[in-house]
Amino acid sequence: MPDPMHQFEIKRLVDINLFGLDASFTNSSLFMVIAVALISFLTIWGMRGRALVPTRMQSVAELSYEFVAGMVRDNVGSAGQKYFPFVFSLFMFILFANMLGMLPYSFTVTSHIIVTFALAAVVFIGVTLIGFAKHGLGFLKFFVPSGVPALLLPLLVVIEVISYLTRPISLSVRLFANMMAGHTMLKVFGAFVVGLGILGGWAPLAFMVAFTGLEILVAFLQAYVFAILTCIYLNDALHMHH
Amino acid sequence: MGLAFRIATELVAGVLVGALIGWQLDRWLSTAPVMLLIFFLLGAAAGILNVVRVAKKMQPGRNGPADGQ
Repeated sequence: MPDPMHQFEIKRLVDINLFGLDASFTNSSLFMVIAVALISFLTIWGMRGRALVPTRMQSVAELSYEFVAGMVRDNVGSAGQKYFPFVFSLFMFILFANMLGMLPYSFTVTSHIIVTFALAAVVFIGVTLIGFAKHGLGFLKFFVPSGVPALLLPLLVVIEVISYLTRPISLSVRLFANMMAGHTMLKVFGAFVVGLGILGGWAPLAFMVAFTGLEILVAFLQAYVFAILTCIYLNDALHMHH
Repeated sequence: MGLAFRIATELVAGVLVGALIGWQLDRWLSTAPVMLLIFFLLGAAAGILNVVRVAKKMQPGRNGPADGQ
């Protein structure tokens, strides 16, 4: 049986050594570049006509724009429009990275926790800086719940701070765990099909078809969840309420 | 399913972060295992707090736009 974890292996394509740091161009980097190139292609080339009656590709570009714009408007309000480009880039990058991973022989960038953690850390640090820039030291009141007896306050502030610090962890682990578990399952059941042969292989094959559909749903859903949580955290920083 | 998984990760992340903070504090203050035990429980509390908040947001009629609240 082939190793189901083999698909997550990082391979160096071009060795680059920057001042003693290993900055090699890997298969992971390659698929990140492909994702960014495809998004740019969709949004720049797809919108080149600017037609009143859009072509199929312009329609897709406009739909994704409208989708994220609506998400930002509903969750952050008018104050969030400034941050729309960031949320849009984040959503499209994760969506394309997840969807590219669904192609056979491709590499899933988001199945590595360091990648998802870097994305989550950018969101976490950015949102915290926005909070402090907007409210000054008053942002620290975010960690002080209202209407609690003074005796309990120190305990609750510590809990609030820990609860705030869990954000990047839960954000990154959720995306990474979903992608890695899904792709491992696909590989394991794919091996069952080969292992059971022409007689018994049909049952896992049918399961695989259904599971691939589910995985495509998960790929979209996790990009959506990541983006919507970014919106919710932004909203917390801008309006300071839970 | 995405929402159910979200609740599970919030809970696990709370415990994980609490335990990590406690473990690191123990190493700095050499008070093992007092801080680990305390922050493990505080982390679990934070995780449950997050879960309650997520569940509250999920209730119908409470997830309107934030501007008006």
